[in-house]
Amino acid sequence: MPEALFSELLAATTGLLLLSATLQVWRRSLTASIRLLAVQGVALAGLVAAIGLHDHELELLPVALLVLVLKAATMPWVLSRVSRATGATREETPRMNPTSALMVVALLTTLAYVVSQPVVAVNPGPASRAVPIGVALALIGFLVLLTRRRALSQLIGFVVLDNGIAAVAFLTAGGVPLVVELGASLDVLLIVLILRVLTSRMQLAFGDTDLDDLTELRD
Amino acid sequence: MTLLILVVQAIAMVALTPVLIGAMRQVRSRLEGRVGAGVLQPWRDVRKLLRKETLRAEGTGGILAAAPLVLMASSVLLCVLVPLVSTRTLPLVPDDLFVVVSVLLIGTVALALLGLGAGTAFGGMGSSRHMTIAALVEPTVLVAVYALSIPVGTSALSSIVQARVKDPAGLISPVSLLAIVALVLVVLAETGRLPVDNPSTHLELTMIHEAMTLESSGRDLGWLELGSWLRLTALLGLVVNLAVPWGVAIHLNAGSVLLGLVAIVLKVVAAGLLVAAGEVFTAKLRLFRVPELLAGSFVLAFLAVTASYLVA
Amino acid sequence: MTAVETGLLAQLALATLAVVAALVAPPGRRSLAAGSATVLLGLAGAVTGFLAMTGGTGAIRVPVALPLLPSLSPLVLAPDRLGGLFMLVAGAVAAVAALFAIGYASGPVASRTGWSAFAVFLLGMQLVPAAGDVVSFLLAWELMAVGSAILVLAEHRKHREVRSAALWYTVMTHLSFLLLLAGFAVLAAASGHTDFASIGRAGIGGGTAGLAFVLLSLGFVTKAGLVPVHVWLPRAHPAAPSHVSAVMSAAMVKMGIYGVLLVVLRLLPGGPGWWGVLLLALGALSALYGILQASVASDLKRLLAYSTTENVGLIITAVAISMLLRRTQVTAVADVALVAALLLVVSHAAFKTVLFLGAGAVQHATGERDLDRLGGLSRTMPTTSAAFGVACLGAAALPVTSGFVAEWVLLQALIHGGGRENRLVAVAMPITVAIVALTAGLALLTFVKAYGIGFLARPRSEGAAHAHEVAWPMRAAMTIGAVAVVVLGLAPGPLAVTLGRVVGAHGIESAGLLGLNLPAVGALLDPIALALLALGLAVPLTVVAVRAARRRPRRVVELPWGGGGIRVSPRMQYTATSYAEPLVRVFDDALQPTRDLEVSHEAESRYLVNRVQFRQSLSDVVEDRVYRPAIALLARVGERARSVQNGSIHRYLGFSFAALTIVLLVVTW
Repeated sequence: MPEALFSELLAATTGLLLLSATLQVWRRSLTASIRLLAVQGVALAGLVAAIGLHDHELELLPVALLVLVLKAATMPWVLSRVSRATGATREETPRMNPTSALMVVALLTTLAYVVSQPVVAVNPGPASRAVPIGVALALIGFLVLLTRRRALSQLIGFVVLDNGIAAVAFLTAGGVPLVVELGASLDVLLIVLILRVLTSRMQLAFGDTDLDDLTELRD
Repeated sequence: MTLLILVVQAIAMVALTPVLIGAMRQVRSRLEGRVGAGVLQPWRDVRKLLRKETLRAEGTGGILAAAPLVLMASSVLLCVLVPLVSTRTLPLVPDDLFVVVSVLLIGTVALALLGLGAGTAFGGMGSSRHMTIAALVEPTVLVAVYALSIPVGTSALSSIVQARVKDPAGLISPVSLLAIVALVLVVLAETGRLPVDNPSTHLELTMIHEAMTLESSGRDLGWLELGSWLRLTALLGLVVNLAVPWGVAIHLNAGSVLLGLVAIVLKVVAAGLLVAAGEVFTAKLRLFRVPELLAGSFVLAFLAVTASYLVA
Repeated sequence: MTAVETGLLAQLALATLAVVAALVAPPGRRSLAAGSATVLLGLAGAVTGFLAMTGGTGAIRVPVALPLLPSLSPLVLAPDRLGGLFMLVAGAVAAVAALFAIGYASGPVASRTGWSAFAVFLLGMQLVPAAGDVVSFLLAWELMAVGSAILVLAEHRKHREVRSAALWYTVMTHLSFLLLLAGFAVLAAASGHTDFASIGRAGIGGGTAGLAFVLLSLGFVTKAGLVPVHVWLPRAHPAAPSHVSAVMSAAMVKMGIYGVLLVVLRLLPGGPGWWGVLLLALGALSALYGILQASVASDLKRLLAYSTTENVGLIITAVAISMLLRRTQVTAVADVALVAALLLVVSHAAFKTVLFLGAGAVQHATGERDLDRLGGLSRTMPTTSAAFGVACLGAAALPVTSGFVAEWVLLQALIHGGGRENRLVAVAMPITVAIVALTAGLALLTFVKAYGIGFLARPRSEGAAHAHEVAWPMRAAMTIGAVAVVVLGLAPGPLAVTLGRVVGAHGIESAGLLGLNLPAVGALLDPIALALLALGLAVPLTVVAVRAARRRPRRVVELPWGGGGIRVSPRMQYTATSYAEPLVRVFDDALQPTRDLEVSHEAESRYLVNRVQFRQSLSDVVEDRVYRPAIALLARVGERARSVQNGSIHRYLGFSFAALTIVLLVVTW
């Protein structure tokens, strides 16, 4: 694969990752956030496929397919089932208003860029130059985890965090063995499924999944 | 020679503007199931207004007469400065970003002072909202064009357009796309289109732009309308030339200038129709949601700048 | 005797003459006599400054000015190019303000104390940039501080808050003096000399330089009015009489800037990167906070005071950017940034003078300072309104004023300074561009509000309705200032070239019709050409408009339309508070307004409202969150410490005994 095309593909997929994460912080609608998760999954799969084709590591192509199935199809489907079950379609009152959250996204991206300079310097190349975006994605996932009240939003934040970590792993290592990726992804899927069940139980028991109300532990 | 091209550009834009607005309104009407007033109706409106008697209330002073002319003059100057037909500029007046933004802001300030000078509550309200939005949009404008200027190394708009003509691959880079999206939001905010402001509203409490022109009548209103529409045309032309720069004349022969003229007319009309069609499907944002939109556009522009550091 | 020396001596002589005139002249003629002498003092300062700035040299040495310190080197008054520029700025502002004061001063500020203090204040302010060594610098600094403190107190009988304002001002000014003293002491100890030339040559570095930098820059930014040590500005500037506020805001804070430039360029050149980062953070924060508070202020003078904080923040940002870029070897752009800082200094001096003098004229004519109670002044006070309008254009950085040129140069330096190699610079540039842009946008809102609500539409109170144009000295002063704002904006080329020579910058050229060419960043600005183009385009427009006006002139009707069926009461117009209300809501977290809503219902039913009372107050967040708790803490500590003094004479004798014992022990060991 020619270098120029590889750079273009990298730029397109990582740009899409960052843009979808920003839109998730901006929008209040949970259905939109879940759809953006699917977009992120597609972008991540594209990223993996591009790296595989460029580095001639054909084992990354099944990994890309796995990522696509898991992150672009399965998890959004599970999360939309949770959304339908709990009836939560909008994040009404986030803890941080969207304007401040967007300013924090800009600052986190800057921080990611500053912090990743040593990583980029170790192995300069188009792939490692895109590492700051992965770090930014992880930080934005954390931001979503911190500033949302609904359990579903926090699930979405958790998945974004995982996407960011996966992006950094692929960009720096240039490939994670299929077994490792399989293990990590199944772990995440398991967590999401368990949390889905828990969320439904919370909804039944307390009538609402606003985490600010659930601050006292009970038997 | 360049001066002649620029004068032709200005005249062409002034002539195109009412037609553009008419086409936009016609598209909107048809999509909403109405017959519409026809593409030439804005032109007929302006002609009628320029001939009508002008009224002025006691206690309002000269600002009501001066502001429409200042707005119109700044809009015409904007048409001359922005690279629309060609990327040639006058030797002593380069179309530097900050100069163009300042000329735009002169028009904004003239409108705001008009709203305050009218001496009514609605005028003040429109003026206040208009200036708040202008203040919040300014960081996006400067950072977005900063992002576009990094690959080129200069902030002169014509050089940026010229560089983009010569480098088609750079047009779909993330820097470019993010910056263009941010600029589109800026244009919508500055010219008072949906979702920031509804240009066809009749409810005074929802007005931003119309509230400032409520007290003007006759000639004053004619200049105000034409001046505001001209701003829209010039800004649409700028964004469309940054996004899709093909057709802009780089050399000074008759053929490319003619091609440039035809290209910009077609591109501006296409962009205007797209905006109008989009407006049918968009609702106006509550006033206090507008800063969120502007903050979002600022973040997009900021991400464009950081992205440009990565595509080194 | 060189020209510069003559100029310095002339300033001293004229100051003495002004004081004598103030003391001796009869009350009726006092303003004219002392005022004329002060105007001449200002002009002498301006001329001397100009001569020094363009390369004239000269020094006045005063041997040993203080008793009990015989081993001190003589006091030196030797302005260099940079000092000459600041003396020129100070002198010009002083001359214009003194001219204004001839017509304006009445009551306590026109007393003997008032005029003498004014002359002393101006002398101190003009001699600060001339000082060539530490002692003369601090002497002139104190003269300036004492003179201004007396003047701030001038109207303390009329308004109660003047006393507390003067207290805050005096405390902060002496805090800055102590910091300067400490900083200079460190430098003098490290280098062994007290004159600036020797200190600069000594090449102090490392921790000592860092300590001295922090102390000195903190002291200077307190005088300049940066956040968080700006709290005296919004209190002192409104409390002082208008001509004093004009000088304080337009020239005295520049002495703080001069101090920072002195430290950064002459005394401790080539410092580490964190110095630039510190100044950049303080400057950017001040610019944003200052303009935010200005945009929501409804008191005209408070608005102008906060706007000074904003401008000083921008100047320090430009200086900091220049420092950062110089470290990364992008010296051409660093020079551009430094010239931008000096352009901002000059343009701010020009428009701020006119703004404060205009506010003084308005207060003199209407008795009101609150924008919510002004309006309609463009018809009754045309000259004041025109001058104020031009100055507002300059403050909002719109063409073709000097403010526009300065902001343009700053943005060029920022946009072209980004080097991707150094990640600090790469990160700082876009953030700074965003902050400068937001500041510019908010400044636009602020000055549209100030001019539009203060001068347009109908008067909102009796005072504003009965306004009349002011006396000729005041009008002349404001007109001179407004003309300066426009002329400096139309001739940026020669102006920037002169300023570039002051700091030894390269790559600043004049091109075209007095335009400015910066080959290092590939940018050209020619305001005259732009204005000619605009006029050329506007001519056909004006012709059409005038002919149409003659054919069908405007008809005046009694009522505005205002949505149909409206009462014509001027109280229905928007006020400054309502104008800024969307902004207060957007920046709620940063401003933290206190709102109080009281609704009292009718006795018969809870659904009928009898009266609604709404109160909103915006105070300085830094003062509330930082200073008041600190003062309260100090007060508590003081209370506890007081318990040590319980009145028993034995305890006091015990203290003396203990002190004596300790001193004996220390001396013998």
